[in-house]
Amino acid sequence: MSAPRFIGGSVVRAPEFTLVCLAAAGFVGMTVATHGNMVSGGTLEVFFRFLAVPIVIGLSQMVVLAIGQMNLSVGVLTGYCAMVTAWFMVAQGWAWPLAVLAGILLGGLVGAVNGLLVVVTRINAFIVTLATMTIIDGLRYKVHGPDTFQNYSPQLQRIGRGNLLGLPNVFLVAVVVAVAIWFFFARTVAGRHLLASGGSPFSARLSGVSNDRSIVLAHIISGLLAGVAAVLTVALSGNVNASVGDDLLLPSFAAPIIGGVALAGGVVSVLGTCLAAFLVRLVDVAQAQFGINQRWVDLIVGAVVLGAVLIGAVRQKLAARSAGAAPPGSSPPEPRPPTPDTSVPALEGAA
Amino acid sequence: MIDQTRSAPDVVADPAPPPDEAARRATRIPLWANPRIGLTIVLILLVAFFSTVRPSFLNTQLTLVPMQADISVYAVVGLAQLAVLSMGHMNMAVGRMAAMGAFASGLVYDRLGAPMWVDLVVGMLVGGLLGALAGLVIARTGVNSFVVTLALDFALVGLVSLLYSRFTDGVAFPKLAPGMSNLRYDTMSDYCMGNLCGPPVPLVVPFAVVAAIAVGVLFRWSRLGREILMTGANAKAAELSGIPTRRRVIQAHALSGLLAGLAGFLLAANSGAFSASLGDQFLLPSFLAPVLGGTLLVGGAVSVLGTVLGATITQVIYKGLNLLQFGVDQLKLYIGLVLLAALSLDRLRHVLAERRGVQA
Repeated sequence: MSAPRFIGGSVVRAPEFTLVCLAAAGFVGMTVATHGNMVSGGTLEVFFRFLAVPIVIGLSQMVVLAIGQMNLSVGVLTGYCAMVTAWFMVAQGWAWPLAVLAGILLGGLVGAVNGLLVVVTRINAFIVTLATMTIIDGLRYKVHGPDTFQNYSPQLQRIGRGNLLGLPNVFLVAVVVAVAIWFFFARTVAGRHLLASGGSPFSARLSGVSNDRSIVLAHIISGLLAGVAAVLTVALSGNVNASVGDDLLLPSFAAPIIGGVALAGGVVSVLGTCLAAFLVRLVDVAQAQFGINQRWVDLIVGAVVLGAVLIGAVRQKLAARSAGAAPPGSSPPEPRPPTPDTSVPALEGAA
Repeated sequence: MIDQTRSAPDVVADPAPPPDEAARRATRIPLWANPRIGLTIVLILLVAFFSTVRPSFLNTQLTLVPMQADISVYAVVGLAQLAVLSMGHMNMAVGRMAAMGAFASGLVYDRLGAPMWVDLVVGMLVGGLLGALAGLVIARTGVNSFVVTLALDFALVGLVSLLYSRFTDGVAFPKLAPGMSNLRYDTMSDYCMGNLCGPPVPLVVPFAVVAAIAVGVLFRWSRLGREILMTGANAKAAELSGIPTRRRVIQAHALSGLLAGLAGFLLAANSGAFSASLGDQFLLPSFLAPVLGGTLLVGGAVSVLGTVLGATITQVIYKGLNLLQFGVDQLKLYIGLVLLAALSLDRLRHVLAERRGVQA
């Protein structure tokens, strides 16, 4: 059993494997239950089209979870970036590529502010992003009040609704983003440093890794991804108002957590996050197909998150037991002394 | 190393450290570094500012009475979060526990016609049970409290709506227990003894005061409270000192649920309805109040008075900006900025106090 920190071999690691099986079983189950309607062109296309934003927003949260912090502002930031992107096109008359770029960069900029605030003030990221969430929530409504932007760049909307090789463009964008994030964590020095900072800030510092730089970088990437999610929303929906992003915060946590990303930091799973978003989307589709009360979906997603976490905990215990006197890498982490900049102090080790 | 990294939470002049420690720290922390004194000054300045700009801010009927009612609710919500922050945990389901408690209160009256006090007790018990459930899962599995309560929140969002649509004709119970409307509209000045009438304080305030005192006594003087704090400060050390840490985790979460149930009941009394959307707005204020009041997220230290002050300041700002006819968007903007500014100042004060204090 390889140490959980090693993500290169994560594909065969149990949680993703379980998720792959679950996703496949769920998909086949849905196909059978809907008498093949599920795999007919239209349904499948819609399925993947609306999978794009959940994947990107889940990854946005995952990057910050990797350093053991949280970003509560991802949801409202997505709404803010979407509003500003639309504003550039409608009110300022910018060409759409420029507006899209500006929207994504705005996300990165806000992320940088988040990261710098965390580093400079040494206040817990949970609190910092709680404050910036409130501020951005206000800013979001400042762009255009409660009104809706529509009739912006038909070209962008055509791309947003278009397909390439039978798959929706927006979904392909999400896949490209996911691959880029995977590459970042698996193959780049900055990504490895980021994971090191998340796994053990103290050891990372002793090894010459700048924890501050990791924190700022993680928040910037998280913001950029929120910007990407915003642009996808703008391209997809054809009209945006300030309520975009209201329902994104909880799913942003659900995807990485179901996907096996630990809140303590140091662990990421791009594939797991994407598969979890896929699963949640399956539940959504089932709800639409069978006219189930939306409330049951919330109930089920909640139960699934809790179940996934419990299974993970049991697995970790079993692994620790079977490993016996194995090196500490595979056992549950010792309760780290909670530094002011880690989000949630862990009690796991003590229990 | 542990001491070094934990120094930040420990330096807060809070009721948390044991007596001898507290004495040592009292010499270490100058008076101006006490967060609660800073908060009181900010509060006075805010009230002075708002009442100068808008004299109607001091209008008893229009502003002061509803504001006190709001402060009561959000102080209790803050205490509900504080109960788990004491262990370094979080309760993301605080709003939904309140909603479930309120649902139980409404149901008990609707079906059994139980008097108001019974409704209140049932509501708090249901909240407490949900909290205990969350605590049980956390203690048994060792999974992060954030995840567990977030999942519980997800699940309860669905459950609350399902229950309301099953047991009521819509989104709220049609009737409230007799006495609830008194809680809503009356102030103590409506109750006179001869010529002597009470102050213009709404009847929900005493509930919050009792809750605050009870929580304060628990964490300062009771064995249970001290052991919860110790578990929060260092779970391993607590375990080795013979404290049943798992049980303390469950108890802290049960207390959080209990207080959430109380907050739900008080909000229902204020708004005049047990409705499904009750508690939707609780999450952010639940963190605002304790954090503004100087309670940190790492656990091991709490400030009940600070939480009440934090809730008061937040509501004063809301009310004041409302009177100045700020829109909702600007309200949020300024609340966020105030929070950031307050926290940064707090941090600055901390650093200065540490620098001036004796470095052991």
